[in-house]
Amino acid sequence: MIEEYQPPPLPPPFHHHHQHRTQSPATTTTTTTTTPPPPILLTQGAEAHLYKTHYLNATTHPAALKIRPSKPYRHPVLDRRLTRQRILQEARCLAKLVREGVAVPALYAVDWEGQTVVVDAATGEERYGGAWLLMEWVEGDVVRVVVQAWERAMLARFAADDRSPSSRRRQADGGSGSGPGSEVQMEVDGHGDHSDHGDNGHVERKREEERMKDLLRRIGAAVGRLHAAGVIHGDLTTSNLILRPASSKKEGEGEGEVDLEGEVVLIDFGLASQSVQDEDRAVDLYVLERAFGSTHPRTEAFFAEVLDGYRASYRGAASVLKRLEEVRLRGRKKSMLG
Amino acid sequence: MIAVGIEGSANKVGVGIIFHPEDGSTPQVLANVRHTYVTPPGEGFLPKDTARHHRAWVVKLVKQALQDARVSVKDVDCICYTKGPGMGAPLQSCAIAARMLSLLWGKELVGVNHCVGHIEMGRAITGATNPVVLYVSGGNTQVIAYSSQRYRIFGETLDIAVGNCLDRFARTLHISNDPAPGYNIEQLAKKGKRLVDLPYTVKGMDISMSGVLAAIDALAVQYGLNGEWDEKDDSADSAQGEADDGKPTRADLCFSLQETVYSMLVEITERAMAHVGSKEVLIVGGVGCNERLQEMMGIMARDRGGTVHATDERYCIDNGIMIAQAGLMAYKTGFRTPLKDATCTQRFRTDEVLVKWRD
Amino acid sequence: MSSSFVETIELAHLPPSMPVHVALYRDVKNAASLRQQLISGNADFEYAFIDANMVLSRAHALSAVFRAVNDSINGRLKSRNVHSEIVFSFSPANNIAESFRKFGIADSTKDLLVIKVSMTPDVTHDSVATHLSQHVEGSAVPFDDETLSNIADVTKIKKAYKLGALKTPPPTQANGTQSDGMRQLELSVLGAIALRGAT
Repeated sequence: MIEEYQPPPLPPPFHHHHQHRTQSPATTTTTTTTTPPPPILLTQGAEAHLYKTHYLNATTHPAALKIRPSKPYRHPVLDRRLTRQRILQEARCLAKLVREGVAVPALYAVDWEGQTVVVDAATGEERYGGAWLLMEWVEGDVVRVVVQAWERAMLARFAADDRSPSSRRRQADGGSGSGPGSEVQMEVDGHGDHSDHGDNGHVERKREEERMKDLLRRIGAAVGRLHAAGVIHGDLTTSNLILRPASSKKEGEGEGEVDLEGEVVLIDFGLASQSVQDEDRAVDLYVLERAFGSTHPRTEAFFAEVLDGYRASYRGAASVLKRLEEVRLRGRKKSMLG
Repeated sequence: MIAVGIEGSANKVGVGIIFHPEDGSTPQVLANVRHTYVTPPGEGFLPKDTARHHRAWVVKLVKQALQDARVSVKDVDCICYTKGPGMGAPLQSCAIAARMLSLLWGKELVGVNHCVGHIEMGRAITGATNPVVLYVSGGNTQVIAYSSQRYRIFGETLDIAVGNCLDRFARTLHISNDPAPGYNIEQLAKKGKRLVDLPYTVKGMDISMSGVLAAIDALAVQYGLNGEWDEKDDSADSAQGEADDGKPTRADLCFSLQETVYSMLVEITERAMAHVGSKEVLIVGGVGCNERLQEMMGIMARDRGGTVHATDERYCIDNGIMIAQAGLMAYKTGFRTPLKDATCTQRFRTDEVLVKWRD
Repeated sequence: MSSSFVETIELAHLPPSMPVHVALYRDVKNAASLRQQLISGNADFEYAFIDANMVLSRAHALSAVFRAVNDSINGRLKSRNVHSEIVFSFSPANNIAESFRKFGIADSTKDLLVIKVSMTPDVTHDSVATHLSQHVEGSAVPFDDETLSNIADVTKIKKAYKLGALKTPPPTQANGTQSDGMRQLELSVLGAIALRGAT
């Protein structure tokens, strides 16, 4: 029996969006807000469903609604304990980080009980609505998308250069022997010996790489501020970082460039915890390093910039980076007992 | 093509014979025999004694399998054996048996990863094409998904395996090891009602079991439920019911242990499914027989619009046929284990195997 | 008579049948008698009377309302009714009496925020406006962030929410820094309201 997956019904107070589709116009009011649209489902993770919605009213506070539905497979007592513990852990981390001035979505509202019974419209089944958390909506793209767009742009721009006479000559001279636009040409680790040719592409490429390096240092600094505030993210990936565009965007500058300006905002604290241990901090960085390597293999060689940004961000970063070397060596358990 | 498989990485020694028809149709199990080394209540199995058990049984089982399968030695294409992971001495006794047969019959050897054996047999039996695999046994706890010719481990236990956790608690309670400690815990758990609070440790897609075991062991001691006990008390486990004094029963502890650790397993499996975008789950390994685990996994999968595949005790408990199945798949891609390399190893990660037989 | 001094707001996600009526007053002259009505339990005076010095912004006040109404919908009121719960919801701590001392009306209150939720259909914008115009002696001002920023006692608010360590707001800083500081204070306050009672 395979059916199209339907998320469970929303818990209160969000459930009434389904029940009150039609409503009578409000009574005589001086300020009437039009009925806001129901939350829009964005992603269905294993643990939580994320919706885009708003807080208080439809215009002032765009918001993300994270719902942790109850898990009917678990014993109800255990389910309640885990759901409550986790939504609160996340909420506490967000609230603390806002107080500490770390760029994260602010906590607007949270309901950790999740024990209100809701009825599945399709099946008529009753279940607990689940705990929820409303937080600030962060504008911008996730860093994964930004880096991938930048990689594509680099490929497009500098692959064209490879067809220029100078670059053809280089290949004929017995260079890499790779074809135009090949991956080898696009390695951004700076091994490519462009300086001999002194062409414009080289300067521009360097400039583009510097822009990326700057973003990576800002990412490192953001993680540093997080750790300095005593929080471990637990799931650092480039999908859990948003590049929030600067409010005053400089128009016209850098035609066709991928925008790498803006503030790095950390999101999704579903696995976060509070700790100031070097070990926990180092593992947090290690997770990011591995995720970066597997998601952005072409830009992996620049990852050192993240660590540079981290090093400069708070006292204590140096000993964490030292610990990171140990964590790397240890790696994930290299072998296992049968 | 026909392959003989010999498995003996833990306390079971098994021999299986599989037949892959030339036309590529469904593989047929020609024989699948097994003998388990059962220890008295309160005791685990030691490598030396287990190896002795395997040595005593392996020849009998091979003869039995050939007889069941109605094939003669000349029909056999290759001999597959468990290279690892597992307990050293028992693995060695089976590797020696495999090498001996190879020389005696003049057949080539295929060393098989035990975990890959479980996965391939599970796929063959259930027809699951590309599932997320939960592999749960006395020695292993892994969440696995296939990608680019490897079975990649997305999550695993950071300390002890789930089966080991259950077995050790069975020892604490002096629960019988016949037919298996986990089976007897499951039966006792059915009478449990009250859920006691136990540590629940999930880190991303990894889990930890040692804290749960330490906590439940401590509760057993605290309430005087550990050690030898009277069979007659068994009825008390169920009858006590509501007239309780706040004291958990042995059944309550088994129930709580199962509910807690199985929730952890289902949770990391669901995470892996969400991560790779899969809707199928396959449960393999000895703990995969547990009906409560299958039920919980089923509810999770249904909620995601997916399905769960599980096998019965013939295939989920360690067996020879799975080694024959995985070995023959490798053999058909040209894989061989030369005699001089036909050793075994206690450590052998699932993701070390190049899965050449899949796209 | 114009009733425009009462603003009626439908808070997002809360049932449209339960709009919130809000009025903000300065130079209130009869705070003591209003408080007396409240203490005596006069049902006609079932309002959330908030000391407006303790209110940072609209979002601050409406967050307390949202929390109280949501707790009410879910049957989790910790105090007598949704209006006392609103006063309680301003508080970051679990002590109801203390929340009234810190955020509720006092005899000396001059700046007053009045909140009423339509828990029943007979409570309407007009009924609230009529009743308030008869009983509150003060000058109504708009319930907006600009007005509130003139009324709010930031030091007291920071103390009540134990946010003294917050680097807010350096009053003389130029372009935007101050509002960033205020924004951080406001968001910190919203977090505290959301998490009250979490154990």
